[in-house]
Amino acid sequence: MDVANQSGLLLKTRPAKLTRRQQETWIGLLFLSPWLIGFVLLKALPILAALVLSLTDFQMLTPESTRFVGLVNYIRFFGDVEARASLFGSLRYFLLTVPLEMIVALVLAAIFTSERLKNKRLSQTLIFMTSIIPSTSIFFIFLGSLAYANRLIFTPLNLPPIEGNGLLLPFMALWSIGPGFLILYSAMKSVPNEMYEAARVDGAGPIARFVYITLPMISPAIFFTLIINLTGAFGGAVLLDRGYILNFSLSPMESYINDTMFRDADLAYASALAWITFAVMMTITIFLFRSAKRWVYFPEEHDEEL
Amino acid sequence: MKSSKRGGEHSRLTLRLWDFTGTAMLNLFMFLFLVAYLSPLPFMVIASFTPRNQFLDGNAPILPSERVKFNYEGKDLIVYEVPTENGIKHWALYKPSRKSSQFIDPNNPQAGPILWQGAWRTLQAVYQFKPTLDNFEAFLSVARMSLYFKNTIIVALISEIGVLFSSIAVAYGFSRFRIPGIKYIFFLLIATIMIPSNITLVPTYYLYSGHMLNWIGTWLPLIVPHFFGSAVLIFLLRQNFKSIPRDLDEAAMLDGAGPLRILISVILPQSIPVVTTVALLHFFYIWNETRLTSLYLGIAPQLQLVSFAVQRNQSYFFTPEALMVGALMVMVIPVVVLFLSQRFFMQDMIVTQIEK
Repeated sequence: MDVANQSGLLLKTRPAKLTRRQQETWIGLLFLSPWLIGFVLLKALPILAALVLSLTDFQMLTPESTRFVGLVNYIRFFGDVEARASLFGSLRYFLLTVPLEMIVALVLAAIFTSERLKNKRLSQTLIFMTSIIPSTSIFFIFLGSLAYANRLIFTPLNLPPIEGNGLLLPFMALWSIGPGFLILYSAMKSVPNEMYEAARVDGAGPIARFVYITLPMISPAIFFTLIINLTGAFGGAVLLDRGYILNFSLSPMESYINDTMFRDADLAYASALAWITFAVMMTITIFLFRSAKRWVYFPEEHDEEL
Repeated sequence: MKSSKRGGEHSRLTLRLWDFTGTAMLNLFMFLFLVAYLSPLPFMVIASFTPRNQFLDGNAPILPSERVKFNYEGKDLIVYEVPTENGIKHWALYKPSRKSSQFIDPNNPQAGPILWQGAWRTLQAVYQFKPTLDNFEAFLSVARMSLYFKNTIIVALISEIGVLFSSIAVAYGFSRFRIPGIKYIFFLLIATIMIPSNITLVPTYYLYSGHMLNWIGTWLPLIVPHFFGSAVLIFLLRQNFKSIPRDLDEAAMLDGAGPLRILISVILPQSIPVVTTVALLHFFYIWNETRLTSLYLGIAPQLQLVSFAVQRNQSYFFTPEALMVGALMVMVIPVVVLFLSQRFFMQDMIVTQIEK
């Protein structure tokens, strides 16, 4: 069952010609194989099917009369005010919540790496805990505690009561930092202690150490969290399923697609909308990847040519 | 501490003072942050112990309480705060009427009904602190929690094994092997993370349905896909594996270690925090999963997983206190798991520090 043996078998079936480099490729592909098989079966084929679907006028109730209609569904998007508003809503949601979420998670993770902090285990549990609360409840918790705050603090002090509308999104964002915090914190813990020791000997203070050692070393994790949050903003449970039932989501675009799919049973248009969302996200991602070259640090990137 | 040995008596004192204030400030900051961060949580606990109709009365106290009642002639009368010439009295409402009502003084019921002029509806009821377990009882009488917990733990554990094995292997493949075009394969992986799940929902459902695999009403659609690895977790692990210096595996390779041996004895020991993180994230994901459960297990109530089952039960009585009870029930096990896994986390850290 040793992979080396398996590659030995591979060697026998492809005699002599296999260089070390080729051997490395085959072993690598062997390691990749679970995902590659899953990709073809569970992603590529359904995606192709969805692409075909988006080019037809498929209706759930009358599948036999499906015709190929070309780009009609995509053109329909540009005339659909609600769809455009939803897409911009998702973009706004991304821009509003993600920076807040990332900065708070980063600061907390940095504080957590300090040896001076007491009761880390409890604090970490408490910070993550809020990310597990189901979505239906979180809304009531928000409204209920807002009512308490107004009754106990603001009304007795003759202050105007707080309105909940503008605060809900930041609140949800802050109460979802669990996974991001966990990722960043574990990345910070993997930074070798020797680097900090060396910097300390050179006289670097805590802030300098954070900026010049921690941030560059964990930049892959920051980048990862950014991508995940981007996806979350446009729909889809990536790292954390908040327990949204299908027709309810915080992401306006996702709600709109789900409505089109399940309420209107218009699968073809829903597929087209999902593809448009994907195109927007991909554009942002490619942009992020381009910029990643400047600020994401991989130790072996320099010896890539070896 | 090391540097203080170099300094004189005076600077050692300053340093200790700095050390102390720094520690105090840091812990104070974290404490204040946690208080603010968790300030909405008390509502959750209070609401789940609150009797049903308390939320309907805007003047009711915040803590779970019940109306004070007075038994008079075999009937439970509600006690109100009644303003009289001798101050506010706690009287039980006997015969309500719009303009004037008859009250009974609980301290002196022999005196009989007292007539009070005024609209009784403007009066405030008297409450006494009394948390109730009724919400939990009502919830448990409908929801088969032990069954849901058992189901979820089985599904979570099986898929956890699958997702860890395959994701670690794939991430290793992505981070350590020179494969032509691997950049593009990796980009494909990122793309699959970002494809909105609802694009593939209908075709995937078709794949699992009676037309092809006939897996609807079983756990298979929730478990099997994880054995092909999870793109997000692969990404996370790969980023971490890449940040481990290659010198270590090259040294192991010179000692004659094969790729699998390098993964097990060089890469994994260095990645315990990230592997724990990945395992936890997957566990929470399965725990809170509702989309797929509602799609594939809707017809199999005996196979339900906890999160969706609780939400479905809650839709029968959609009130704050019922929702809070459900949320508390769903949260208990993840919080315990998280807390226990931290212990393992921290131990690991201490061990590596001792080695140094």
